[in-house]
Amino acid sequence: MSSWEVKTIAQRAAEAMPESVLAGAGYVLLAVGFAAAFMALMGMALIYAERKVAAHFQCRLGPMRVGPHGIFQTVADTIKLLFKEDIVPSQSDKLLHLFAPYLSMMATLLALLVLPMSPVVQIADMNIGVLYVTAVTGFGVLGVLLAGWSSNNKWSLLGAMRAGAQIISYEVSATMALLVVVMFSGSMQLSKIVESQAEGWWIWRAPVIGLVSFVIFLIASLAEISRTPFDLPEGESELTAGFHTEYSGLRFAMFFLAEFINMFIVAGMAATLFLGGWMPFHIGGFDTFNSVMDLLPPGAWFSLKSGLVVFLIMWFRWTFPRLRVDQLMKLEWKILLPIGFVNLFAAAASVVFGWYFFPIR
Amino acid sequence: MVVSESNQVVAPPIQRGGFFSNLATGLKSLLKGMGITFHYFSRPSTVVTQQYPENRATLKMFDRYRMRLSLPHDENGFHKCTACTICEQACPNSSIRIVSRKGAVTNKTELDRFIWRMDSCTFCNACVVACPFSCLKMSGDFECSVYDKSLLVFNLTRYAGPTSTVLMKVTDPQERAKMWEPRDVYSGPVPLRGTAVPGGGRTLGAPEPVKASAPVAAPTPAPATAPAASATALAVEEEGGKK
Amino acid sequence: MSAITVTSLDERIRRSIGADGGASTTQEYFVNMGPQHPSTHGVLRLVLKLDGENVREVIPVLGYIHRGVEKMGEHLSYRQFVHLTDRLDYLSALANNWAVAKAVEKAANIETNERIETIRTIVAELQRIASHQLWWGVFGMDLGAFTPFLYGFRDREKISDILEETIGARLTMNYIQPGGVMFDIHPDFQRKVKEFLTYFRPKLEEYETLLTQNVIVQERMRGVGVLTAEKAVSMGATGPVLRASGVAHDLRRSEPYGVYAKAAFDVPVGRNGDCWDRYWVRIEEIRQSMRIIEQLIDNIPEGKHLVVKPAVRTKVPEGIHYSQVETARGIFGVMLVSDGKDVPYRIHVRTPNFNNLWTVTETAPGWRVADLVTIISSLDIVVPDIDR
Repeated sequence: MSSWEVKTIAQRAAEAMPESVLAGAGYVLLAVGFAAAFMALMGMALIYAERKVAAHFQCRLGPMRVGPHGIFQTVADTIKLLFKEDIVPSQSDKLLHLFAPYLSMMATLLALLVLPMSPVVQIADMNIGVLYVTAVTGFGVLGVLLAGWSSNNKWSLLGAMRAGAQIISYEVSATMALLVVVMFSGSMQLSKIVESQAEGWWIWRAPVIGLVSFVIFLIASLAEISRTPFDLPEGESELTAGFHTEYSGLRFAMFFLAEFINMFIVAGMAATLFLGGWMPFHIGGFDTFNSVMDLLPPGAWFSLKSGLVVFLIMWFRWTFPRLRVDQLMKLEWKILLPIGFVNLFAAAASVVFGWYFFPIR
Repeated sequence: MVVSESNQVVAPPIQRGGFFSNLATGLKSLLKGMGITFHYFSRPSTVVTQQYPENRATLKMFDRYRMRLSLPHDENGFHKCTACTICEQACPNSSIRIVSRKGAVTNKTELDRFIWRMDSCTFCNACVVACPFSCLKMSGDFECSVYDKSLLVFNLTRYAGPTSTVLMKVTDPQERAKMWEPRDVYSGPVPLRGTAVPGGGRTLGAPEPVKASAPVAAPTPAPATAPAASATALAVEEEGGKK
Repeated sequence: MSAITVTSLDERIRRSIGADGGASTTQEYFVNMGPQHPSTHGVLRLVLKLDGENVREVIPVLGYIHRGVEKMGEHLSYRQFVHLTDRLDYLSALANNWAVAKAVEKAANIETNERIETIRTIVAELQRIASHQLWWGVFGMDLGAFTPFLYGFRDREKISDILEETIGARLTMNYIQPGGVMFDIHPDFQRKVKEFLTYFRPKLEEYETLLTQNVIVQERMRGVGVLTAEKAVSMGATGPVLRASGVAHDLRRSEPYGVYAKAAFDVPVGRNGDCWDRYWVRIEEIRQSMRIIEQLIDNIPEGKHLVVKPAVRTKVPEGIHYSQVETARGIFGVMLVSDGKDVPYRIHVRTPNFNNLWTVTETAPGWRVADLVTIISSLDIVVPDIDR
């Protein structure tokens, strides 16, 4: 079993600070720059990936014109969105209308800060990481609600109200699923959770319980980020474009970007909590096998795992139809939550009695 | 599924069971659906997209595809139209205007201009079907976009004169040349109105100079566009109306 | 007529808001669904009275794509009028053509031959399949699944190609003429149709797996928008909408035209008249249409494809002539009022979508906005057909 030394950018900054303020500030700048660049680039990459994946699910080719296989299509789209007129409806609540996209974006950015992408690529590592992520992602609903409200459009308002009800409800189930992993690993710190999976990922190390909570987490998170089959706040065929009907240009791009980065965050969180994060595929005791797995760097492992979950999310989107509002609530309160509770109790029991592979020594 | 005596099939009701069986069947149905989409995702050969401008060389329209109306000219450059105006009457939206004239030599009605307005044509094929001499054809040339609606007015005939049957009876080329005059072929988007008609430099309505040259086997089409001279074809229509 | 509707609508909106006066804690509000809306399938405007997400009232407002086809027909000869019917229900262009051709043939005593009728039946059934394929895709999209849309279009493309090869057009076909069909079938037609049938059978099973058996789709449709048989009949609903309500009325069966009498097929009917029944009836109709084509495709008798000269003007004896056919959406009827001339004195077209649309005023109240979208989609409306 190899050990990884986790060193976040925040730690580096704190270490450098007493000696040289400049070095500390440099690390802070690095963190900010990294987060911003990551958001923009990852957003564009995900949009391109989504379009290509969707196309091939549908027997199409997708973007093919801009660059080889259309890889610069999203760049062109971004430039187009940047130069588009930013229309603010005359009867809207202007301040909130202008402010809402930033709120939505901020929630995404804040969640991105704690995501451990590799032992060295993590901006901050809080001891309450899981709680923090739950808190700040819930913050995103505020942007959606304000956007829908301030647009002064009935369709937008309907979308926003749907979003509010949906996100708040599904947060309960998502948290239930997270608690299972917190219980197993005994920590809320994301790097500790990753390290606790050095002998096996929680999805299989805790038989059935891990898988069930992974599925619950995935479903609930999909609902939280409003992806199909839970895209009711946007509900294109019902509400035209839902809460962002009245947005255009850069502000629309912000919602769009936030939505796609949220997808990545969900994938990253799912990978971190259930699939071992950046930890290579290890089976406790099989040291030769584990050392072979270590050949691939942790960053690659994280990318692979989160990429897989992103693909899964896209796969859902391009297969399933949308649920209805009442069915959405039924799914949460009558199906997911009871199963989540039972699962939580089962997890507690198995932690107490050590009913899982390679119990923590 | 119930098949009754009177050949009816009755819709099956949706079966629902208890909590867990519903959960199992539901999840199974979702996974099956995902299987279908993944089947297509994993097989790039199932892609049906045609990369249109790139595949122009291989893109073949069906023979009967109805797009641009044409008046086929034979190898001598003559057509079979007698200016009987049946196509004009058959056209539901007056997209065809036959301008006829009295033949200088034959002293019979013959085609002067065959004007087809693509901008109002619905490609219903009524003219082609109605033509008693089968001299009209709709071709598969579908790339007809222009920026100016007035460019969608075509003259389909290359010459004013009798049909190929009449012309081919006359063996003497000199005599034959007297019977027909060249007309500008609007094979591409070319405006009809204006003092200068591309290719000829004549003024519409003015007496046209008789060209002594022998019929061209394949008359060169007029230049692709001449926006400077572009305008509507109304002048020609008025011209035709007077005659 | 439409002006009256609009004024009364404004009045109703004013009255409703005035009556509430903000006194109650919740307020019903009006919202325009359309004329520009993704799931009104064109320029249909529905004024919705909503209570939160719940639909209280649906008021369809028509006329956004009214082109006056009936009036235009008064200036065209019977043969020329045929091409306008392509533009009513553009997904059933051939059936619409057939209705006019049938009316003129009946009136002018034109006897067609077996070959013509067989070709007409086959192409009309092919187009019924194509129409249902498109509907299936659009239905999936209205429920939020985008992929079925492209699968439906992908398979419809095969039929479009087959028809294009014979007819020369893909949408506005103008193929079935009074006294015959415009062209004889292409030499490859029979082979390609058979190829299509073998291609499409497994694809139809995929349709079933992707949407029919999908638990979300079933739950979205089950019991939603129930249209009782009495209501369906009294509102004049026809086609799959009527049959889904349990009334097995199919013109192909009750007054057979073409060669439908020779083909064996079942009429699918629903149990409750909910969205699920309407969905299932259409899917089953695809199967039955394939059955009909299978029986006929090898038995196209010899003969001419046009029994009359393609003359421009057909004179129709004085009187009122009516004929109707079963399109993919229901009964399409054409009434020709003739004063003995070669142009009709008056034309009236009975389009199925007009009546089918108005059933939404009965079925949608009480359901949610999302259900309204399902209900509209399950009616399979084509807006140019409603407005004419």
